Amino acid sequence: MKNFNYINAPDLPSALEALAKPDAYLVAGGTNALVDIRAGKINDRTLVNIQGLTEFDRITLQENGRIQIGALTAISKLAASDLLAEKAPALYQAACNFADPLTRNSATIGGNLANASPAADTAPPLLALDAELLLASRFGERRLPLQEFFLGVGKTALVPGEMVLAVEFMPNSFSSFLKLGLRQAMAISIVTAAAALSLDKEGIVREFHLAFGSVGPTPLRAYNGEKAVTGTEFADPEVIKQLQEAVQLDINPIDDLRAGAGYRREMAGVLAKRAILSAGREVGQ
Amino acid sequence: MAKQEIKLTVNGKIYHLEVAPNEILLNILRDKLFLTGSKYGCGIGECGACTILAGGRSYLSCLIPAVAADGWEITTIEGLAKGEELTPLQQAFIDEGAIQCGFCTPGMVMTATALLNENPDPDEEYIKDYLRGNHCRCTGYIAIVKAVQAAAEKQRQG
Ligand SMILES: Cc1cc2nc3c(=O)[nH]c(=O)nc-3n(C[C@H](O)[C@H](O)[C@H](O)COP(=O)(O)OP(=O)(O)OC[C@H]3O[C@@H](n4cnc5c(N)ncnc54)[C@H](O)[C@@H]3O)c2cc1C
Ligand code: FES
Ligand code: FES
Repeated sequence: MKNFNYINAPDLPSALEALAKPDAYLVAGGTNALVDIRAGKINDRTLVNIQGLTEFDRITLQENGRIQIGALTAISKLAASDLLAEKAPALYQAACNFADPLTRNSATIGGNLANASPAADTAPPLLALDAELLLASRFGERRLPLQEFFLGVGKTALVPGEMVLAVEFMPNSFSSFLKLGLRQAMAISIVTAAAALSLDKEGIVREFHLAFGSVGPTPLRAYNGEKAVTGTEFADPEVIKQLQEAVQLDINPIDDLRAGAGYRREMAGVLAKRAILSAGREVGQ
Repeated sequence: MAKQEIKLTVNGKIYHLEVAPNEILLNILRDKLFLTGSKYGCGIGECGACTILAGGRSYLSCLIPAVAADGWEITTIEGLAKGEELTPLQQAFIDEGAIQCGFCTPGMVMTATALLNENPDPDEEYIKDYLRGNHCRCTGYIAIVKAVQAAAEKQRQG
């Protein structure tokens, strides 16, 4: 580490003021930030530690029925949440598979999203749950649908001086998450998929959201895949085949040292099928 | 790069320290407090050799700026034993032969301590999963898992 200044922000107004300075660099759990600093990718900055903002370290079920998760909530807290296990299993499963218990104690959900890796594990579940972000800067607060947040590898819609306060979504017990990595532990994903489903009494899919990680420059919603399934009978093998073809239009995978693009395409189809079946498993089939 | 004063409680002792914003907690523990049990393996969160406890939870001290730890109450590997008396877990590591070169051992023991705080009756899968962020190049893990199981059993018997 070279040349840094450092501020511990005790509350939100002082955090937003510190972030308004051009050389400010926000640090939450530090599990991405410290690695980037060590690698020399970040230098000559004022690090703004926001871990004092404890009001954003919680999971709440709001009166309007939505779940709100503060940006500073550690992944370990998500993995220990009965509320999420029941009402948002997709996000819960992603948290349980995230890194290792040590890293999970420091890594925050806000940092995972703001870091904007295509492989960020909390992104596909939150995209499938149609989550919305609460953002703040010195000039006020705004809301942004998560699918408009990711702009590229490491690029987000945050403007300078702006931070993520919380993420919010409607609970959906019929949601699921699947991760394919090179090994079970500590592996960056090759493909991840998350699905959220609502069925009517006749077993027709009324609404279907599908999202992927690691098959494009950002985590992404698979709109073509969603269209292929919406309005059809749940778990119809013909429809599942169409889903697997349709998602090929949604994704844009690359070759890298972990897997080839062709393999990723193949696996995206497999995970799409497993994700939808697993999301709907508890509904009478 | 102005130094800042921080207060750390480490193994029950209070320290007031002047640290630069770019110093990581691990290096402060090792180089300023001479608590060299915590090891610098990778420095990027991959190996777990630098694991410490704060508030009963395990953290990677290589990914924490020392200034961010202001006010923390920390336990390092040096703080587990009471004098010569090892914790059941430390003793089990010796009895089971779960130590070879020993480089991973402090981190391994700290994470396993957090594990036993959380779950006094872990099965083999639980232990393997919980320790997946702590890497060992020597033992092949089997003796380590056995040591944690043995310590858990001893603790349950009181
Ligand atoms: C050993 C190891 C294993 C890992 N395994 C996984 C894994 O399995 N899956 C996975 O998805 N990731 C993994 N990661 C990456 C990392 O842990 C996560 O992305 C983590 O959630 C980042 O959160 P943080 O609080 O540590 O972020 P920080 O490092 O503090 O910040 C990351 C970035 O986000 C910005 N930021 C943080 N919080 C906010 C906010 N509230 N508003 C605006 N910007 C913000 C920071 O400025 C920085 O650019 C791993 C990392 C390590 C070291
Ligand atoms: S030295 Fe901290 S994880 Fe390797
Ligand atoms: S005993 Fe040598 S690394 Fe574990």
